[in-house]
Amino acid sequence: MDRIENHPILGPRKSKREPVDFTFNGEKWAGLKGEPIAAALLAVGIRTLRRHEESGSPRGLYCSIGHCMECRLNVQGKGTVRACLTPLEAGMCISEGERLPNEITGRRLP
Amino acid sequence: MTPAFPFDLLIVGAGPAGLSAAVEAASRGLCVAVVDEFPEPGGRMLGQFHEEKGHWWVGRQVAEQLLDKCSALGVKIRCGVSVHSILRSGAEWVLKTSEGSMQARNVLLATGSAEIPHPLPGWTLPGVMSIGAAQVMANVHYVKPGRRGLIIGVNVLAMAISRELSVSGVSIAGIVLPGIGPITGKEASPKESLKELMGLAHLAPSPLMRIGGKAANALGMAGFVSRFIPRSGIKIWDIPLRLRTVAVSINGRSQVQSVTLADVNGEGAVIPGSQREELVDFVAIAGGLYPLAELASVAGCPFVYAEELGGHVPVHDEQMRTPVEGLYVAGNITGIESALVAMAQGRLAAATISGDTGLLGQHHDQEVQEAMQDVRRVRASALIQFRPGIQEARDQFYRKCGRFQREKNGIKEEG
Amino acid sequence: MNTSNLIVCRCEEVTLEQLEEAYQSGCCSARQIKMKTRATMGACQGRVCRQMLDAWVHLKNPQLPRDAEQLAYRPPIRPVTFGQLAKGEV
Repeated sequence: MDRIENHPILGPRKSKREPVDFTFNGEKWAGLKGEPIAAALLAVGIRTLRRHEESGSPRGLYCSIGHCMECRLNVQGKGTVRACLTPLEAGMCISEGERLPNEITGRRLP
Repeated sequence: MTPAFPFDLLIVGAGPAGLSAAVEAASRGLCVAVVDEFPEPGGRMLGQFHEEKGHWWVGRQVAEQLLDKCSALGVKIRCGVSVHSILRSGAEWVLKTSEGSMQARNVLLATGSAEIPHPLPGWTLPGVMSIGAAQVMANVHYVKPGRRGLIIGVNVLAMAISRELSVSGVSIAGIVLPGIGPITGKEASPKESLKELMGLAHLAPSPLMRIGGKAANALGMAGFVSRFIPRSGIKIWDIPLRLRTVAVSINGRSQVQSVTLADVNGEGAVIPGSQREELVDFVAIAGGLYPLAELASVAGCPFVYAEELGGHVPVHDEQMRTPVEGLYVAGNITGIESALVAMAQGRLAAATISGDTGLLGQHHDQEVQEAMQDVRRVRASALIQFRPGIQEARDQFYRKCGRFQREKNGIKEEG
Repeated sequence: MNTSNLIVCRCEEVTLEQLEEAYQSGCCSARQIKMKTRATMGACQGRVCRQMLDAWVHLKNPQLPRDAEQLAYRPPIRPVTFGQLAKGEV
């Protein structure tokens, strides 16, 4: 998705952010250091951040402020994090939250 | 990391209420710290702006002014820190955080609110987000939530953020009703939605001002919506507000591709054969806000349900004091209102805490009374009112809390 | 709206139909329905769907007071890692 370079009301971002590389599911991308992982991924058009543990249904950013846990994904060395709150760092290896291989509850899926 | 001595006041939430309280408390001599789990301080003010009598009120600027004052007063602000528990240890509070424990004599919970969804088929697809998420992405992180989006839900929050998104250059296909479902009741009908919008009619320049007067006369009359609101909707700030249209389902394989829309009559029933698809790549759901008060509950504070305030609210008095010793609340945790009211509540809470810790001396009562009057003044003149009759609802709430307290004390005395 | 497989609780993928079945089987309060279906018990701890569950239960029995039974909040209310626990910091 488009980035807003110069916001019509808020102006340009006050502190300039340095471009950094990262990988998502093994693919190489660029984002801005310090922005939330979810913002960096959205900016390159990636919306699916996770598969539901049981059904495997795709999930993405929902609340953007750490309440809903929908955007949790994996960062090498950090484990499971909320993509909406975790700042992007140079060289991060990020992978989507995965469907688990075994049945969890045995419930009928919708 | 953890200081050898406890803070006089630890504030959870660096939004309008928390930062205002921090400035006020620190300027009265308290040793204050603020924690927030968002990476930067300012809370939801960071992404808020609206037009007010010809100029723009910009939340970020207000936040920056408060932050400058905080840093001049030596307030310690720690962001990216999640508080996951709170417990009492002797005369102190211990907050368990993602970065270790923090101790304080007093705690102010200014944790704000969380969003209520409107569930509909397809709402778990990537690209469907809460309206606040769209606001944060565009106005805080400077990434557009999508190329073209649809807003589901007609309320003050939806209107205010739709306007922000549109100004930020995000294309909005329209604002539609969620449809009357098993969870959203009749408040989702065109009739009830229009009633709620009347609370916004003073947000000029708005065609609602004109349509508002007519609709007010017609409220209660069957079929008024079809007479005053065209099928294509009315344009507000160039955003089509479609008060006769509901979202039926969100469609897409792995992410949002379209939304199925349908027309409804004034009572909200779908008109057969009116279904069609609107192509969008994101959907923002606006179901309203409720007070986010988990920590108050964990700390042992009782709750009272108040519909006008947005749901279950921690019991507190008009000075922002909860029945739990050393625990205070301010901002949207006490009920949903605008940032300016939250700021006034933050200042009031700080005055109360200063008084309770003996810092105000003999002027205590007067200063707290003045801060209380200030909250009422700000509320009365607030441009954005989430609910009409909010002061009456507050007064009723405080009476209820008072009764609650007296009953509790009564039971204790007898036992 | 076809609502039978409408998801109410996103985390646990609990549908409206499942809530209805639980209700029909004798679960009347939000808490009972939560215990039966796992609605509000997922990773978000009910932050997203508890209001909806409350509202739905209220629509079923509008005469019951809403103060009476609120779903509990239990710590930790935000994610804590085993690493943080192991460090003894939290």
